[in-house]
Amino acid sequence: MVFLAKTKSPDEWKAVTSAISTLVDEATFEATKEGVSFRGMDPSHVALIDIHWPNSAFQTYDCDATIKFGVRVDEFSKLVRRADKKDAMEVTVGNDSMLHIKISNSYRKEYKMRLIEGSSSSTPLPKLNFNSKVVLTASAFDKILSDVQVVSEYISIESKHKQVQFLGKGDSGEADIIIESGSEGLEELDVQEESKGTYSLDYLSKITKAVSTAGGSVAAEYSTKMPLRLEFRVANIGRIHFYLAPRVQD
Amino acid sequence: MPTASEIKKQLEDNWIQFLNANSTNLSLESLTGATPPSVFVGRYGYPKVKVGPMVPPLHGDTTILDKPEMWLGKSIEEIVEYRLSLIRGVSTVDIHSTSGKYVESLQEVAMASNSVESEATFEKRPVADIEQEKYLGVDTDSAPFGPVAPLKAFKTSSSLSVDRRLENAFYDKDLRAAEGIVDLYQDGVEVSRIHRILSMGMLGLQKKRRLVPTKWSISATDDIISVRLTKEIDTFPIIDSFKVHKHIHLGNHYSVILIPTDTWSFEMQEAWFDNKGNLGLGIDFEDANGLDHYPSIAGAYFAARLGVTEHLFKRRHKAAVLILREIRPEYVMPLGVWQIREGVRRAVDGEAKQFDNFEKALSFACVNLSVSKNEWIRNSKIYKNMKEQMRITDFLKGNFNG
Repeated sequence: MVFLAKTKSPDEWKAVTSAISTLVDEATFEATKEGVSFRGMDPSHVALIDIHWPNSAFQTYDCDATIKFGVRVDEFSKLVRRADKKDAMEVTVGNDSMLHIKISNSYRKEYKMRLIEGSSSSTPLPKLNFNSKVVLTASAFDKILSDVQVVSEYISIESKHKQVQFLGKGDSGEADIIIESGSEGLEELDVQEESKGTYSLDYLSKITKAVSTAGGSVAAEYSTKMPLRLEFRVANIGRIHFYLAPRVQD
Repeated sequence: MPTASEIKKQLEDNWIQFLNANSTNLSLESLTGATPPSVFVGRYGYPKVKVGPMVPPLHGDTTILDKPEMWLGKSIEEIVEYRLSLIRGVSTVDIHSTSGKYVESLQEVAMASNSVESEATFEKRPVADIEQEKYLGVDTDSAPFGPVAPLKAFKTSSSLSVDRRLENAFYDKDLRAAEGIVDLYQDGVEVSRIHRILSMGMLGLQKKRRLVPTKWSISATDDIISVRLTKEIDTFPIIDSFKVHKHIHLGNHYSVILIPTDTWSFEMQEAWFDNKGNLGLGIDFEDANGLDHYPSIAGAYFAARLGVTEHLFKRRHKAAVLILREIRPEYVMPLGVWQIREGVRRAVDGEAKQFDNFEKALSFACVNLSVSKNEWIRNSKIYKNMKEQMRITDFLKGNFNG
């Protein structure tokens, strides 16, 4: 049983661990010949993260079986953060039930972290059709969320053919942000059917702040009164999908 | 039902009577009496705090004076009488000093299984400067107590017998405090005795032991046990309908609403009218991700959460919970969070009324409360979430590939 994954920088692991840390304290990764994946819901079952990191994205990748390994996310994240941007990082699962993290640049350091018993259950993905797709730069998206969060705990996204509107309403007042096709920060707007969905800002801003520090862009896909799916196009990772269940008012 | 001012008058009369009846005892610089057992760790001056035994001018079995688990059904006058008869001796100790002759003598008292005959010698006479007014409107998590005096010496009778369970926890210096607390609770030790030994720095890893102000030790004990219970409850089957339990005592009205849903959440709301007739509200909420702030209603939150999670655990039921507490003027002084823990425990021990939706359950919960249903739900996160927040699992139905 072999698992070895080497990256040129710690950025990918940083993005992955900080994304997961917004939802759960303990995470079970699954490594196969194809790559590393994680899928899990937060304890309230309101949000789900689906990560797949293909073998081709690693500098070196070696895995000859299906290996599940469980970690305490904050502990893992702390170790990953000890690596500088230019440090190469090698992650292996040892025969000693420890996760070995080798960080090397000018000198080498190696951490060993105790693995925990992983969960054996698997989380299914909801099957969804999305009527609207909005792609924004990560910084523009983060800014919009913060703009609305000033007055509201929730954000409504309303998309029409040539514009998308972000709305929020709270005790102190209302926020209304309109972005039209061609505006700076808006990379793509594809509306097959006009849609409006409302989502918790707490979840959205936590995940966006966790992942988008690495830059890149965010694709938000949704339909009226249906879950939102964010795709973080960041670093050298195949897929970071974040699903968020809507808030609905009768 | 006596009014608030009648209760206050009665409390003052009782107090004067107590001082007169014990004038001889209280004028001496030493006091003999049986400590229930009781010790108190103050909060002011932290990390150098006032620590000491509480001793009444009474002999024999005085257990009831410091055992809130025995106070359900007692009147406010009776409880205040128990408490004010406890004379608190104090000596300043650094919280890191969990050994030494004085602290060890108090630790022994904290482990005692019965009341302990003792003698407290004071630097000066206990001062009865505790006017009733001092407590009014000041919230406190621990129960009140009587006169205070700096301590010169403290002796206990040699025949003290300790509770094995507490003693074992005390000598296990490789066990984390949280584990120790949960183990004792599972062994059937009352919360009031667990927080007492926690406050005396008797639980946890050797290196981490320290004295803990009584107020904090109560919150910590309630918090740690009830968090553990929420994890257990998560594995149980969901209740089949909305259930409302009620209890009224000591000028406090409790409505406990159990909500059938598959993930944990908890909200407690407290409402009161101040002397100008303005409504005061305190609300705290957590979902399955846990509490993300220190509750504005402080120790009341943890005490209530323990009362209800304990019930769900015993019945092997899963539910989310909304607790409404309305505080009436007859609650003339804060008696400590034990009355919340016991009030909620008593409520859920009683029969529940069942409902098929949240609205009906809430309407029933608000009957006889002065604060209207609309007022309670206006700021309720749990209510808004139940109505509006969907779950990922709602979209997995019919997805058989998972």
